[in-house]
Amino acid sequence: MKSIILIQKIFSGRKLASLGFIWLLIITIMALAAPLIAPFDPLEIDPIARLSEPGFPYFFGTDHFGRDSFSRAVFGARMAIIIGMGSVFVALVAGGLVGMLSAYFTRLGNIMMRGVDVLMAFPALLLALVLMTLLERSVTNTILVIGIVYATTTARILFGVTLKLRGEMFVDAAICSGAGHFSILFRHILPNLFSPLLVQASFIFAFAQLQAAALDFLGLGLPPEVPSWGNMLSEERIYITRAPWLLLFPGALIICSVFSMNLVGDALRDNMDPRFKDDISGV
Amino acid sequence: MLIYTVKRLMALVPTLFIASVLIFLFIHLIPGDPAAVLLGDTATPEEIASLMSEMGLNEPLWKQYILWFSNVLKGDLGTSIFFNEPVLSVIADGAETSILLATMTMFWIILLGIPIGILSANKHGTWVDQIASGGAMLFASVPTFWLGLYFILIFSVGFGWLPSSGFPSLSDEGGLSNLRYLILPSLTLAAPNAALIIRLVRASMLDVANEDHVRTARAKGLHPTAVAIKHVFRNALIAVTAAFGFTFAALISEAVVTETVFSLPGVGRLVVQSILRRDYPVIQGVILVIVLLYMVINLLVDLAYARLDPRVSLK
Repeated sequence: MKSIILIQKIFSGRKLASLGFIWLLIITIMALAAPLIAPFDPLEIDPIARLSEPGFPYFFGTDHFGRDSFSRAVFGARMAIIIGMGSVFVALVAGGLVGMLSAYFTRLGNIMMRGVDVLMAFPALLLALVLMTLLERSVTNTILVIGIVYATTTARILFGVTLKLRGEMFVDAAICSGAGHFSILFRHILPNLFSPLLVQASFIFAFAQLQAAALDFLGLGLPPEVPSWGNMLSEERIYITRAPWLLLFPGALIICSVFSMNLVGDALRDNMDPRFKDDISGV
Repeated sequence: MLIYTVKRLMALVPTLFIASVLIFLFIHLIPGDPAAVLLGDTATPEEIASLMSEMGLNEPLWKQYILWFSNVLKGDLGTSIFFNEPVLSVIADGAETSILLATMTMFWIILLGIPIGILSANKHGTWVDQIASGGAMLFASVPTFWLGLYFILIFSVGFGWLPSSGFPSLSDEGGLSNLRYLILPSLTLAAPNAALIIRLVRASMLDVANEDHVRTARAKGLHPTAVAIKHVFRNALIAVTAAFGFTFAALISEAVVTETVFSLPGVGRLVVQSILRRDYPVIQGVILVIVLLYMVINLLVDLAYARLDPRVSLK
């Protein structure tokens, strides 16, 4: 009940952001119920029907193997959610821990934030490319790599916010009442980091989609047989003149999802704790 | 100012050093043996072993690093395995394309980003603003390569106005008119970045508009346009300048993709192809150069920031 009220508060008077939120719900449902929604097996090859135009029974047409584009797109939603959530998880846990601990234990922090600085000296996609060459193409590795790339920015932001919180009265009170480091960090400081983490999560989710698609396109992302929107674009790019719709649908899905997530992120940021307004930035 | 500059330059050294160690380690952890890749499938194990010792790949890792880095300091980034040419000249070959592409992209970003951002802030809350800032966010959500592919489909294949791929050097036949090869790529690259600048100009102008000196300017009866340009925009420009380092990083990342889409012989495409070819020396060299460039640009941005805004104290 509380969360419904919160959602109402965040989206009241924001038509576009509300639409974005609804779109994300639809994508989530598509991801969860993919086998029920998709009329065909996304991997099933039908050479006779290759490069069919959109219509019936192939809503989005078929690709050059004769696989149903609509079914692949539905399963692609599943990949998008997995990649997004996974990267957000890796980035927030790794980056959050580094940022929080660095701000709390200053001596350790000097060293760790230096490391973050070095990683931030690499442009995002370049870092992802280099890391990806070390690893095999797989879903887990793509998540790890994108997560690490955005862990650096998360660490930077959480470092600033935690530093601010550390100077506040309630932390002093906790220290005076004999709370240990662990308790101060995770019971007193962490709950206050909820809103910056949430805003950060929404933007990382959006960026992760674009990065994953770019990696897929360069042939260094998910394995080629995995039905993801990025792979669909990458595999069918040479057919763009013969079957332009094959790139239209997956592209539109990526754009709508990233756009929606950015809108939701903006709405969240505007509603968040005014203490941290200056520390957080998105697109 | 001078002391600050020197201090900042000194601070670059350890970061660059650690970055070079990281780059070196990354590349040498890559599975797949460059000697085997180079010799192809028909090579015997003996041939591979002898080439490996010739290339110094049998030495301990730290020795390889010291050798590599001391050469780097002398300006020698090694020899490309694929081209059999010095890495520096391989990079230099791609530099013309990449620099021209970046310049042209910056031109579009400034041409589109700043006026639309100002307009959007001035008409804050109206439908003009909603379209401009909504459109900007939409463009920031488009995968670069997708936009590029449709640009090719529409403007090269459909209308036949512009070439779809490649870029002959300006010194080749055609001269300056060869720049037309870069129009579509630079527009593709500019779209998401111009979108960021629009949002940034708008946000910082709205911030500045609430300040006292703007109210004073308005109160003394200055024309609204004069207030917007002379008092608000000039101050908002500071925040925009500060974001150029970030824009540059985004440009590099997206140039990798864009150059691949349009098959441009630039540095970005070189990165991807070298990775796929396992051309270690080139990967190391290019990434080191890009990281150095990025750090220098960030330094220049900070210095410019300090110059533009007297309130920034140089610690």
